[in-house]
Amino acid sequence: MDIETVKIKADKVQVFYGENHAIKDVDVNILDKTVTAFIGPSGCGKSTFLRCLNRMNDTIPSCRVEGRITLDDEDIYDPRVDPVQLRAKVGMVFQKPNPFPKSIYDNVAYGPRIHGLTRSKAELDEVVEKSLRRAALWNEVKDRLQAPGTGLSGGQQQRLCIARAVATEPEVLLMDEPCSALDPIATAQVEELIDELRTNFSVVIVTHSMQQAARVSQKTAFFHLGNLVEYGETTQIFTNPRDPRTESYITGRIG
Amino acid sequence: MSGKSLFAKDARTAARNRAEGRFRAYGFSAIVLALLALVWLLISILGAGAPAFRQTFLTFPVTLDAKLLDKSGSGDPAALSKVTTTTYGKLIAKALEAEIAARGIEAGEVKAKEFAKMLSEESSATLRTMVLADPTLIGQTITFRALASGRIDGYYKGRVTMESAALDKNVSPAQLVLADRLKDEGVLTIAFNPGFLTMPDASDKRPEAAGLGIAIVGSFLMMAVVLVLSLPIGVAASVYLEEFAPKNRWTDLIEVNIANLAAVPSIVYGILGLAIFINFAGLPQSAPIVGGLVLTLMTLPRIIIPTRAALKAVPPSIRDAALGVGASKLQTVFHHVLPLAMPGILTGMIIGLAQALGETAPLLLIGMVAFVRDFPGGFFDPAAALPVQVYNWTTRGDPGFVERASGAIIVLLAFLILMNAVAIYLRRKFERRW
Repeated sequence: MDIETVKIKADKVQVFYGENHAIKDVDVNILDKTVTAFIGPSGCGKSTFLRCLNRMNDTIPSCRVEGRITLDDEDIYDPRVDPVQLRAKVGMVFQKPNPFPKSIYDNVAYGPRIHGLTRSKAELDEVVEKSLRRAALWNEVKDRLQAPGTGLSGGQQQRLCIARAVATEPEVLLMDEPCSALDPIATAQVEELIDELRTNFSVVIVTHSMQQAARVSQKTAFFHLGNLVEYGETTQIFTNPRDPRTESYITGRIG
Repeated sequence: MSGKSLFAKDARTAARNRAEGRFRAYGFSAIVLALLALVWLLISILGAGAPAFRQTFLTFPVTLDAKLLDKSGSGDPAALSKVTTTTYGKLIAKALEAEIAARGIEAGEVKAKEFAKMLSEESSATLRTMVLADPTLIGQTITFRALASGRIDGYYKGRVTMESAALDKNVSPAQLVLADRLKDEGVLTIAFNPGFLTMPDASDKRPEAAGLGIAIVGSFLMMAVVLVLSLPIGVAASVYLEEFAPKNRWTDLIEVNIANLAAVPSIVYGILGLAIFINFAGLPQSAPIVGGLVLTLMTLPRIIIPTRAALKAVPPSIRDAALGVGASKLQTVFHHVLPLAMPGILTGMIIGLAQALGETAPLLLIGMVAFVRDFPGGFFDPAAALPVQVYNWTTRGDPGFVERASGAIIVLLAFLILMNAVAIYLRRKFERRW
């Protein structure tokens, strides 16, 4: 445990949507090179909290975040921080696959292009190939990189979105229910991929499926009504929950 | 078993089916009615306007006598331009007289000096312009195609009859008989009239010479101003309001006002334009620049509203995707949102332009209704506009202007159809699925 480094540290985080207090006093340490799952019933605030980690909530005018969230000990809500730079470090994959209506190549190359990560076309080609390989999509699309990304199947689209997210070499990858729109086979592929991504990134995944959380994560956080009820080793949460609410949820009594 | 067969319709279902049947019948008859109205409109306009594209001409040789046209013999343009249309008129009258005599056509009761009355008063000016443009013609004998007078032209278009000619001081039945003989000899012909699209407007007594040239140029210049100003301003305003502006009381107020401005009667923009652009800014009257500015003001809200709708219709997931990989707000808008909204924006833009093209009322107030004979050299010279030309011609007394006005409507409709076709083409071209 103690040899693992803390990547993101949240300290007394509160989120308000106007008058609505959506997240209450959340403290959590997210470790590097680990898959952390956020579970909980709908509306418990897990996605809201996830979106705080790369400041995607900034785009919602009524949303207000209090408390302190640090990435490598730097406060990401510090006024000096440009959320654009933050999001290059903290990538995100969304619930519904959302490739750009461009070619597969351009989808993956977009991030490196806008951040100026590559100096030449050859270098960019390399980044695209590497990212698509990491997303376990290369073999399926290598012959049609100029085909539109929107023409792929749902599971391929989601892996394309993962490739797009890893192309900017982020340090943390946030995934908001990445498999909820996918069939079981595509889900299995993405889950396998998440396990591989762990070697390079810190992955935070929000999921409705407890089996998925149990399968892919090492740490699990259970949210309920805006509170972080319990956070610990995944095996411990699922076999020996300390809080009665966690137990009720994982045994299917609340949800 | 509930006891009731599915095959027996109960009263409620039958009543519902009848209601649906009635509603379908209403809808269908509404469509039929609308189509009939459209067909009627097209038939009446095409029927009344098509003759404007054909004109009666008299073709005969004219000897351009150097003694009359270039007394000094120097060929000096300044000296040549001193010769008035009266001289040319006499030349043409003599030439026509000679032609009728040479062909041995029986003139009947028409006296020799009345021959020229069968020609448009415009023909002497046409010949003079030809000679001034090319002074080497002087001394030669050229084949001159002169416009027939409006009454002769009207005779072949069914407007003038022998009975009406007997009561008309501008034309006599004998002249019509002579015209028929000239037609048999091939001197008088009815042919396509390119002048309708290229010539300037003509005075009240010369409907045969009136053309849309200046109106087309003026409308084109105004549309250029509207396009150049309203596209960037409209799109920038929409993008700012939709993507960047905070949502508060002020932006709500602006939004309501834009919606209201789109509903303001266009003549109000004319008064505004008169006050600001002409009285305050001192821009010239009747100029395409002022017309374009007024139409821009009028078009802006009508472009902003569909543009905002197009931006709103871009799925938020695309914005999330771009922001998620670290694109800035501006990059998100320019790389992803705008291209996806492009078909909608272009359609709104072209429909706004088409409305501006057909707008008359504001242009009346800024002097576009003036009679203009010289082609505008730029945005600051007086010009006419297509819809105003239609309005103008419908107010004139000579019946020859009825077909002119309808013909101008056909030209206007052709431009509108063309613009809509471009809108459809662009929409297809830029449409992308996501």
